[in-house]
Amino acid sequence: MRIVKYILVSIFETLLRFFPMPCKTGLREFGNPGPDSPVFLTCNYHLTVERVKRALKGMDCYLLVANSRGINVWCGAAGGHLNNHRVVSVLKTSGIEERVNHRSVILPQLAGPGVEPRAVRKKAGWSIIWGPVYAKDIPAFMEKKGEKNQEMRGVKFPPLQRIEMAVMWAFPLSVTAGLLTSLFWPRMNLSLNVFIWVFSFFVFLAFPLYSKWLLWRKFEFLRVSAFLWGTFLVGLLVYSVLLHSFDGKFWLWWGVVSLLVICLLSVDLAGSTPVYKSGLHEDRFFKVVLDKNKCRAAGCCEQVCPRNCFEVDRSHHTARMPRASQCVQCGACIVQCPFDALWFENQKGEKISPETIRKFKLNLMGQRALGMD
Amino acid sequence: MSSVILMKVLESSPKRYDRGMKILFFGNLDQIYDRLISDIQKGQKVLDIGCGTGALILKAAQRGAQVKGIDINAQMLEVAKEKAEQWGLEQMTEFQEKGVSELDKEEEASYDAVTSGLCFSELSEDEIRYALRHIKRILKKDGLLLIADEVRPQNILRKIIHWLIKIPLWIVTYIGTQTSTRAVRNLPDKIKQTGFLIERMRFNSIRDFMELKARNRKDKAE
Ligand SMILES: C[S@@+](CC[C@H](N)C(=O)[O-])C[C@H]1O[C@@H](n2cnc3c(N)ncnc32)[C@H](O)[C@@H]1O
Ligand code: SF4
Ligand code: SF4
Repeated sequence: MRIVKYILVSIFETLLRFFPMPCKTGLREFGNPGPDSPVFLTCNYHLTVERVKRALKGMDCYLLVANSRGINVWCGAAGGHLNNHRVVSVLKTSGIEERVNHRSVILPQLAGPGVEPRAVRKKAGWSIIWGPVYAKDIPAFMEKKGEKNQEMRGVKFPPLQRIEMAVMWAFPLSVTAGLLTSLFWPRMNLSLNVFIWVFSFFVFLAFPLYSKWLLWRKFEFLRVSAFLWGTFLVGLLVYSVLLHSFDGKFWLWWGVVSLLVICLLSVDLAGSTPVYKSGLHEDRFFKVVLDKNKCRAAGCCEQVCPRNCFEVDRSHHTARMPRASQCVQCGACIVQCPFDALWFENQKGEKISPETIRKFKLNLMGQRALGMD
Repeated sequence: MSSVILMKVLESSPKRYDRGMKILFFGNLDQIYDRLISDIQKGQKVLDIGCGTGALILKAAQRGAQVKGIDINAQMLEVAKEKAEQWGLEQMTEFQEKGVSELDKEEEASYDAVTSGLCFSELSEDEIRYALRHIKRILKKDGLLLIADEVRPQNILRKIIHWLIKIPLWIVTYIGTQTSTRAVRNLPDKIKQTGFLIERMRFNSIRDFMELKARNRKDKAE
């Protein structure tokens, strides 16, 4: 029964993936926790909490749900909703301090862009341990006594998640399209909806096949939309040839409507994946720069980078960025570096300092509120 | 006036915040805040929780009180500081980036009044309980707790009107900022349970907005 409910909830919330889905904040218990049991923390996005709950089943532990305004961990942290204050607040007001003897809390690694262990320690006296990126790795993480391998540290974009993204786009689009067609072109209702769903699945399932050639290059938007539109038009041509019908009106309608849908889909295709940086962010032309003179090989960057860009060379007391090209500009490494050895810099030499990145988060339009004027 | 939700849109851009609030509350907020702090006197020490851009706390400073504003939003605080400077109130004001969970750092019995405008509705149940406990601790004997905030109407008809106004605003805010808030439930009861004496309560016509004045009775058994 529980599993059925979980599946239904997952489907429902995947359909509404675009929207935040807040759930109750505060302390939850699993199994029979005692004063030495581990303490986990996550955001209050309902689906995330459900997933963490599943991962913690069978353990004796505590879970703190912090207020991220119903937004998932990564977006919440990068957008300033899951921040130091929210973590400090749940640590201090939930009553966990009376329950356990220790003062360490395990956070999802993707909270890295928003939560600073130093600030949390200073304000609340708790130390933060960076757990795995995905909740399902928690049992393995605990078994290895907090050791994380590269695998657990990286974000992935596996088929299941791609399907989620396809649904996340298709559902609101098809609802809108359904409403519009019912009003103006009732006959096209069904076919347009079929098109939206099939095409969204195509875009995301075929993602690995074309992404290398299209994303994060010049004129990304044009490339992506031209590719997708081209693909669709070829499909339409095949269809027309098979049916021997070349109706001008039919072509016009589908040409325009598909172009609209495709433009919407490709505005920020990169940004809806965890493995490419968003094309909308103000910081997109900036790169992470590492100052080897300041770096003392503390290794925080390596621990939080969800793209495994870093390697710490302990014998030379410095970090290196052998996989810098994989960076998605989440900013986690910059926020975490205790020696301010990292920052964003663009080709013109303009910098975004660690201080700015810690203080001002990205808003929905991908802008950092730099200064106040 | 049930527009706490729309405030989210504004909060995400502190620069627009003040102008937006004027529109949202049809310019009434000024009046409400003036009334709320009318008991504050020159030379008193006042703490404002969730001060935002300073709408409430700067009024108290203008009356000659020595004020401190705390908020977790650094950008809002920047605007507040700027305003304090423009109005020549720097000497009277202090701003700190702090949340309610850091109220335990404030000294016992050190404030004459604690004020809060539209902030309790953003707190969790745990935070409200924690905040009230510490507000009681840091207030002097007979010190004042002054709150203006969204509440949930009790009466069914008012509830319906409240939601009729609220739902469209919800949608706008969801699209705009992907966040939402909920009005506080049973705030007066919680305040009473903490050991305050409520001296005045004033509601708007739909009863979804409340002004409250409570006094800290240290000697009284709870
Ligand atoms: C709607 S604004 C009200 C601001 C101001 N009092 C006014 O009336 O214009 C609410 C403020 O509460 C702050 N806030 C939210 N949660 C808080 C917390 N846990 N501790 C302190 N401030 C908080 C927000 O940052 C925001 O600035
Ligand atoms: S976190 Fe900073 S100091 Fe530590 S290894 Fe990375 S760059 Fe070097
Ligand atoms: S190197 Fe890039 S992807 Fe890795 S943590 Fe830093 S900003 Fe994020």
